[in-house]
Amino acid sequence: MTLGLPEHLAGASLNRALTRAGHSAAAVCLLAAMVLAAASVIDGRAWGLADPRASATLVLALFAAQALAQAALARWPTVTLTVLTLMVGAAVAFALTTLIVMAGSDFESTDNVLLALPRIALVLLGGAGFGSRIAITWAALGWGMGEAATLLAVALAGASLDGPAGVAVWAPNLSATAAFLIVAVVRTFDAVSRRTATRREAGLYRATQQTRELEIRHDYELRAIARLHDTALSHLIAIATAGSGPVAERLRSDIRHDLALIVGRDWAIDHADHAEHRTPAVRGGGAVAGGPVDRGAHAGARIAPAPHSTVTAGAAPLADAIDVARHAGLEVRLSGDPEALARIDPRRREALEAAVTQCLMNVVRHAGVDEVEIAVGPGEHDVTVAVIDGGAGFDVEGIAEDRIGLRTSIRGRIEQEGGTVQVWSRPGVGTTVLLTVPTGGGDR
Amino acid sequence: MRGTIRMTQQEVDPLGGIAAVPLVGAGAVGATGLAVALSWWHADEIGSPFAALLAVALVAAAAAVAWLSTLPSRAPFTVERLGLVVLLALGGAVAEYVSTVNANRYLYDDFGSLALGLLLLALAPFCSWGALLVAGALGAAVVAILGIGTAGSAATAAPSFSFAVVNAVAVFAPAAAAAAYSATVVSETLAWQRRTNAAALEHEAAMRTGIARSVQQGRVSVLSREVLPFLAQVMTADRISVADADRARGLADALRRALKAGIESTWLDELAATVSSSRGIPVTVHDDEAAASLLRDEQRATITALIAWLTDERRASSVTIAFSGGARSGSRITLAAREGAGPLGRRDIERFTAVARAVGMRGEVSSAGENIRVEFRHDG
Repeated sequence: MTLGLPEHLAGASLNRALTRAGHSAAAVCLLAAMVLAAASVIDGRAWGLADPRASATLVLALFAAQALAQAALARWPTVTLTVLTLMVGAAVAFALTTLIVMAGSDFESTDNVLLALPRIALVLLGGAGFGSRIAITWAALGWGMGEAATLLAVALAGASLDGPAGVAVWAPNLSATAAFLIVAVVRTFDAVSRRTATRREAGLYRATQQTRELEIRHDYELRAIARLHDTALSHLIAIATAGSGPVAERLRSDIRHDLALIVGRDWAIDHADHAEHRTPAVRGGGAVAGGPVDRGAHAGARIAPAPHSTVTAGAAPLADAIDVARHAGLEVRLSGDPEALARIDPRRREALEAAVTQCLMNVVRHAGVDEVEIAVGPGEHDVTVAVIDGGAGFDVEGIAEDRIGLRTSIRGRIEQEGGTVQVWSRPGVGTTVLLTVPTGGGDR
Repeated sequence: MRGTIRMTQQEVDPLGGIAAVPLVGAGAVGATGLAVALSWWHADEIGSPFAALLAVALVAAAAAVAWLSTLPSRAPFTVERLGLVVLLALGGAVAEYVSTVNANRYLYDDFGSLALGLLLLALAPFCSWGALLVAGALGAAVVAILGIGTAGSAATAAPSFSFAVVNAVAVFAPAAAAAAYSATVVSETLAWQRRTNAAALEHEAAMRTGIARSVQQGRVSVLSREVLPFLAQVMTADRISVADADRARGLADALRRALKAGIESTWLDELAATVSSSRGIPVTVHDDEAAASLLRDEQRATITALIAWLTDERRASSVTIAFSGGARSGSRITLAAREGAGPLGRRDIERFTAVARAVGMRGEVSSAGENIRVEFRHDG
């Protein structure tokens, strides 16, 4: 996942969030104003006109008109609608003030709740455009036009600015002024804080990307390690322990085989496609069939040469692994349903076959036997391969930390593809390694 | 929208949360100032000076709790803290009602409901829209009852119900604004994150190829360039010499060491190596149990961002990261940096500890002389 918003998107998102916040508060204010007017219609106590209910109904209609204009503006924030909404809001303020300053009103000044609610809504209208300056400009116009309309209404009504008690006089509406100040402070703060380098310097967005790259890089390092281990280390140890003397033909053959597999290839890249470049001679089913590999009549027929041999759909099951075992002088018995391997996603199948190859190399190096059994068992959503030998075995709990082959080449490979590895072994009894991988494609 | 009901801007955009802290301070000062100013304004209506003082004190306490609770060092802001703020502010509203009972002529100059509304508005970046709406509705209900209680002494002849609405709207309008802000920021941030993650997955194949090629320059790959020609030479030779055997032994040892180091390393070692080579600032990692590999993606990103900031513009001359306690709950990650060309301001580093808190790591910053030490407790 990623943390937070990048700088270039934060401004737009916060701008929309602040605008919607204003719309919500404005809607609540206008709704409350309409509820107050409706309550007065029902109660029959109101202001201004001789008929209180008519007064209250007129007030309700005025609030409804402003609510309609502001709802339209919230839906279509154009300059035309913004100007229209400001005019409607000013007209409502003028009409309300005219009612309030009439004889019979019990409001002492224009600084009262009934005028405050639509005036606050007008300050919070939002308006067309983007950015803090334009938002403050519209809010200032909303406040200024409302205040001007109120003042004009008082003046036209002939009410004295210092009028006698009981008659409303003009006074700046403190609630609307406070709402404007809050808008101005929040918008100014938003603009200033985004200009500072807090978000940019923290670099969270960049760090999130970098972390992902590091994970992939580490993953590839592990793949490269596994591949180098599988191909080179055993040969180096064989050369070191052989000492001076003629090169054994078997060693020469093994090295040739492994170098043919890896040299010249971008071998850290996932090898889902590299099998297509393999030479039939290396993978050749004929060579396997001619070697000391007893797969049984049924399985043997299936490992016959494939014209366009790849690890994908047409590949002979476990051909590379069996080939490696044959070079090492190991007899392999293949049982179960090897064709089930064709159901596995190519990349996973390659990982599985590489892990089986490493299991067979472990048998060659450590088990002290010359035969091994590979059993393939298909499941509903996975395929299991068991590599079974009756050799020296080992203590699974006491396995050394530096046994790279088991940790990386077998367990690491299979677990990276969403599979599982189980190992049963006892000294003197033998070893069974159970490799299970899902049949579908992975998420990488 | 339902999926975001419990999420806050502070969680999905921790830096946005940190940037909003001064606004909470302004809101807290505003709410307290409002309480003092309006108490003075309607002083002639006050029948109980003690209750009036208590009202101001409770609003000030609510403001202080709001402000202190949102400081980066105390992140994340929890629902319990919101509850405490609302409770204290409502206590202030009740005390104000008691102070002017039977003498309150105008609701318009009462501060209890306004102060609560202002605090809810200021806390928008730290609360989910659901919590804000619930707090606003509960607060509005309480002050609405107080409003009805004021109707008898009011100067305005209006239905009692109207007083309830007037008082309630002072709380609910700011709460609705706060909830709309929170919902918009959270949903837009999550939408952007979804788009980014989808785009990242699309481009990952190309990125993987590029990275795979660069891995060819890595330590194992470089070693392989010595090993493979050597094996090819042995394959074509007639005899293995003593020198060949010694060379094979040396290469095998080097390969084993490289393989073991590679297996035991984590993404953090890769980061340290990258930063050390590209910026020339030594970054040392002590992580024997490879605990770095257990950190979640967002926790890794936080530590990566902090290291990148420390080593950017050579602010630090060296950085050391040590893991202790392995993968167990309560394990610690200690990052020590020695000051380099730029100042290592605590306030700057606290931005990162605040982000860390948002992703499940408690961070503490301490400094001694030129050294600064950041300790994360890995909560899981």
